Amino acid sequence: MVPLVYFQLLSAALFVIGLYGVLARRSAVLVVMSIELMLNAVNINLIAAAAHLGYRSVGEVFVHFDGQIIAIFIITVAAAEVGLALAIILRMYRNRGTVNVDEIDLMRW
Amino acid sequence: MGLTANLYLLTPEFALAGLAVLVLAVDLVTPDNRKALLGWFSVVGLVALIVISLFMLWQHQDTLYGGLLAVDAFSLFFKVFFMGLGIVIILSSIEYVDKYLTHPGEFYGLVLFSVLGMNVMAMSRELLTAYISLELLSFSLYVMAAYARTNARSNEAGLKYIIIGAFSSAILLYGVSMVYSSLGVTHFAAIAEQMAAGSGAGPALWVGLALLLVGLGFKLAAVPFHMWAPDVYEGAPLPVTAYLAIGSKAAAFALVLRLFTEGLMPAVDQWRIVLAVLAAATMLVGNLVALAQRNIKRLMAYSSVGHVGFILAGVAALSTGSVLATNGVIFYVVAYSVTSMLVFACLISFFNMTGQEEIADFAGLADRQPFLAGAIAIGMFSLGGLPIFAGFTAKFYLFTAVASGGLLWLAGLAIFSSLISLYYYLQVIRQMYISPAAPAPTPLPVAGGQDIDEEEDAQSSIDEASNGVPEKEDHHEDGHHSPPPPMPPELALKPSALMIGVALVMLVGVFWLGVYPAPLLDAIEAASRAILPGF
Repeated sequence: MVPLVYFQLLSAALFVIGLYGVLARRSAVLVVMSIELMLNAVNINLIAAAAHLGYRSVGEVFVHFDGQIIAIFIITVAAAEVGLALAIILRMYRNRGTVNVDEIDLMRW
Repeated sequence: MGLTANLYLLTPEFALAGLAVLVLAVDLVTPDNRKALLGWFSVVGLVALIVISLFMLWQHQDTLYGGLLAVDAFSLFFKVFFMGLGIVIILSSIEYVDKYLTHPGEFYGLVLFSVLGMNVMAMSRELLTAYISLELLSFSLYVMAAYARTNARSNEAGLKYIIIGAFSSAILLYGVSMVYSSLGVTHFAAIAEQMAAGSGAGPALWVGLALLLVGLGFKLAAVPFHMWAPDVYEGAPLPVTAYLAIGSKAAAFALVLRLFTEGLMPAVDQWRIVLAVLAAATMLVGNLVALAQRNIKRLMAYSSVGHVGFILAGVAALSTGSVLATNGVIFYVVAYSVTSMLVFACLISFFNMTGQEEIADFAGLADRQPFLAGAIAIGMFSLGGLPIFAGFTAKFYLFTAVASGGLLWLAGLAIFSSLISLYYYLQVIRQMYISPAAPAPTPLPVAGGQDIDEEEDAQSSIDEASNGVPEKEDHHEDGHHSPPPPMPPELALKPSALMIGVALVMLVGVFWLGVYPAPLLDAIEAASRAILPGF
């Protein structure tokens, strides 16, 4: 079996790449894609952990698929999130003619 | 025991979801000039649900779905509180929505869905459940922040909010995954068990908990994760700003309280100092930056950051042996919500009349609208923490709890920050009562264009952009230069009876909490005992 730490390293690397994308990308669409990358890193981490933890009982409850179930929920929620974000980005484009996050600065402190 | 044996305990949640879908459905067959009825319909539904929850769940103590959701005094308290908040928000947005926004039915539906999310947040005892309900709340708020869809500032608020929200969710989830991979559990109680037993403790667990804290910090707008709040608050339509400042904070604190008492109590020595520093930074930065604000929404945003700092100080003082800190936090959340709602109801009413939201626009308000000015003044006094108002009692309880929790320096700092905050609250009062009135008010083209054809408007704005006409960057300072909306909203001379009614109810609440909080404290005490281990 591949050691858990390899998966955790892969997941951490993906997460950091996503983080870099969020901070460095100028287009709102690419920022949203980077956030998706971060969420996928989370999924890798969860599924690898669930596979390694195996079948066991905690108190009275048997847990086996916790990690996979959380991952499925995250995939679903992430899809909804992208839908919403793209809808708002589309409104932004219609009203301002740009989705460059540097130009979205009507309000600043 | 089957998982569905006591499903009836979830009746209020099922009914609330049904009500929200029903409002969306009825919206389709409601004629355009009757949309306000949907708001009243939602309010009636929420009142009925409060009654139902109180009758069904009074003194109930149970868990559902193998411990995912708790039905106890804590969740009942917050359920009633959130649904009451939903009622007040809907009531105070009916006139605003009518005047400045399109698609009222969906607006009320979204409020109901977000209330559902908040209810489940207060009930959840497991990380995934908490996350899902948090997202239900956040998704509704993303849409509501961007609701004035032809208004570039509202769009910008929505975009900033959803990007920061999704980003912080990702961080939160990474924390969840680290906690899960080191402990193997996600139930709060099981997390506490494992931590107390010392299994799985290691760098991975601490990184996970830290990321969890960062994610929640973003949601709460705690310094240094607060930068999104003022922008989003300023751009969002006013009732939504009120909802963001009150509802999302209260719900996040309900979740934080349950997570920290039921789940993370064994590690209290590790996180106490972190939370205390976070609280100190939040209250100082929030209150200091608020001094420089000119826009009333931004002022309220920074003021809410400051109040989050106070409440976090209470969270830092949590301990297993005493209900003092939990009581203080819950009471502060309630008092802050009632007071803020009073101020926001008056601001919404003022905006409905004049379309203005700069602090300078309030000059001479005491002569023109003595009631509004008086109510705002009382709200500001209460937010600043002057006696006989709710703010004082709440601060008294909370700071006492912080001091007796061994964090005397934090309590001192909190009192110092309250003093700073009085300055900018009194500035608003000075504007209303002492500054001479401005000449006849002219409407500012803010939040929400009128009911104009969407395509046409989009087309014209794209044309404008491609013709190289830059958007006015500083609506702020000289809003009068930007093109006026096609049809300026007609200005009323008096606040509407509905808004006066909402403000009056909140006013009574502020005085009641300030003078005789005992009945509420009893309910809060029961709620604290439900979540604290060892009671």
